Amino acid sequence: MEPTALGIALRTLASLLGGYAFLWGASSLGIAGLVALGMAYEEARTLCMLLAFLLYLIIFLWVWATHHFVRACVILVAGAGLFSAMAVVLQQQLTAGV
Amino acid sequence: MFANFRQAMAWVHTWFGLVLGFVLMAAFFFGSLSVFDREIDRWAVPETRFPAQPMPSFDQVLWPVYQQLRAHPLDMAATARRVEGEIPHPDTLPLVSLYAYTTHRDPVLQIGGEFAIPNKPLDASDDHQHVHGWASIDPRSGTYLSQDKLQIGSEFFYPMHYSLHFHWQDLGYWIVALAGLVMLVALVSGVVMHRKLFRELFTFRPHKRTQRSVLDLHNLTGVVALPFHFFFAFTGLVIFAGIYFPLGETMLEPLAKQHQVLEAERTGLPHEPAGEAAPMASVDAMVVEAKRRWDLRGMPGEVGYLFMDHLGDANGYVSIYRAGNDQVALVGQGVHFKASTGEVLREDPPPTPVFAINEFLTGLHLQHFKHWLLRWLYVFGGLAGCVCIATGFVFFVEKRKKQLAGHSARLIRWVDALAVTTVTGMVVATLAILVANRLLPADLPARGLWEERIFWYSWLVMLAHALWRSKAVASGLISPAWREQSWLVVLLAVSAVLFNWIGTGDHLVKTLNDGYWPVAGVDLFLLACALVAACAAKILRRREGLQQPLSPRNSGLQDNLEVARG
Repeated sequence: MEPTALGIALRTLASLLGGYAFLWGASSLGIAGLVALGMAYEEARTLCMLLAFLLYLIIFLWVWATHHFVRACVILVAGAGLFSAMAVVLQQQLTAGV
Repeated sequence: MFANFRQAMAWVHTWFGLVLGFVLMAAFFFGSLSVFDREIDRWAVPETRFPAQPMPSFDQVLWPVYQQLRAHPLDMAATARRVEGEIPHPDTLPLVSLYAYTTHRDPVLQIGGEFAIPNKPLDASDDHQHVHGWASIDPRSGTYLSQDKLQIGSEFFYPMHYSLHFHWQDLGYWIVALAGLVMLVALVSGVVMHRKLFRELFTFRPHKRTQRSVLDLHNLTGVVALPFHFFFAFTGLVIFAGIYFPLGETMLEPLAKQHQVLEAERTGLPHEPAGEAAPMASVDAMVVEAKRRWDLRGMPGEVGYLFMDHLGDANGYVSIYRAGNDQVALVGQGVHFKASTGEVLREDPPPTPVFAINEFLTGLHLQHFKHWLLRWLYVFGGLAGCVCIATGFVFFVEKRKKQLAGHSARLIRWVDALAVTTVTGMVVATLAILVANRLLPADLPARGLWEERIFWYSWLVMLAHALWRSKAVASGLISPAWREQSWLVVLLAVSAVLFNWIGTGDHLVKTLNDGYWPVAGVDLFLLACALVAACAAKILRRREGLQQPLSPRNSGLQDNLEVARG
């Protein structure tokens, strides 16, 4: 099976930008969540960044290897939006009254 | 899209590795050179060829030095684009914070600071109201090193390896980051592609056909140094995580700001100035106190990093950090003082596990600690990475040489020319900047800028040369550009050593006799480089002689099998 140009373009976009957006949301939620659990912001950020780049590698490979490309895209985009929204809401609660 | 996992990984490995490999070569090569950045600085700026110095007295030497520090023209220009109105003259801007940093390999001291500006930012959320100034000084006398003198190791090669000197929108950082991610991807996918990883680890058949031996070398350097490559690509990303995921300046800004306030309360180190003037106590006395406290902890040491914030303000404080000669973290064991009285505000506790892991990973990448054997291993690990990437290019070209058709002929001509440019061409450019450094008049205005221009122009010429000579590739032959540029490497490397001798009198007999390793080491390395390039050129000559031009149909079953393996 020869990969098509469109397929390559879509997977490139999904693996790099989709992965980035997902990690943006996941890291934000991770940081806000850890801060809510009592960890200092900088420490939470450091921990989430260490994990984010390893996760980026896994997401990248997964997007290229999966047979269910559409499902992967949905997971990445939905995850990005959902996690980001949850992070913003959690942040509002954490910083309320400051 | 792909039949199976292995095929997907092979595709990703081949194509992402090819496209980003050219960037990776620069990151690995200039990263390897950066391991000895301070030593290359000594070679490039002969007036700094004196032994490493400890942090000098602040009260006697540094304080008068900071009075002369001014905002850097580059940062003045960059800041002018972010603020309303015109920034006042640098002479009138007050210094509000300062730093000094040194390591066990630094004869000159890096200093810098922030100057307050009255201008409003164009973007209201931008709370960075400062312009930065920086310089290198001779800590023995406090004299400034001319900004026209380029410290090629730390100011050119080192930033090259993570930013490509491409600063528009920080795009260079992003390209290198993408290359870093692709390095991780290439390592994992490379392992997946190989069924018999362990056996191939010990396989090297230098006398087989080029394609076979190149693949062996690719696997050998990739697998033997795999943890090394993975570590450096990964930690490189982690070091600049703040640029790649600027969460604290965007979506999580409220949380980050809240943290700054809480942190200031917790540590007692004020985040904001009080707004009332205050005198400054003796910083030398604070250094004595910090050293006494390190002694008490059983870890005597020197000052590596000195930082002062809110200068001249009642909230001003001084942070003194211990040099990390004997630990992986760059600096540590900070002791903080109230600037106006000299009383201790805080002594940093040991880092939490998360910070300790982060310090270990980033510190191991940056390697400011003292360990000369490891330093050399870094160089060879980095160069092994270069060999791995370069052999990847050559394998890509060799594999396709046998099945040429119009379209793919053009592709492999380009790939081969770009490979020449990023292998021998990059070495030529690197040597050209060193030769230029020794040949340009000492008092040439913007001398450093000319050195950089010569670097880029010579690299561009190497690309043009490689493209011009690539016709042989389309006939299944070795491009003569490889050999010709190798000879140029020999010529330039030997010239650099000679011009260093003629210009400074520091020839190898003298530097080796004096045990002055920074210059002796660079010279020896240049000669070794010349030797390797000469051998490469000779081998290429012989191989070129053995080859017959291939007709496009001349592909054997053997080759097709290898194509299938990726």
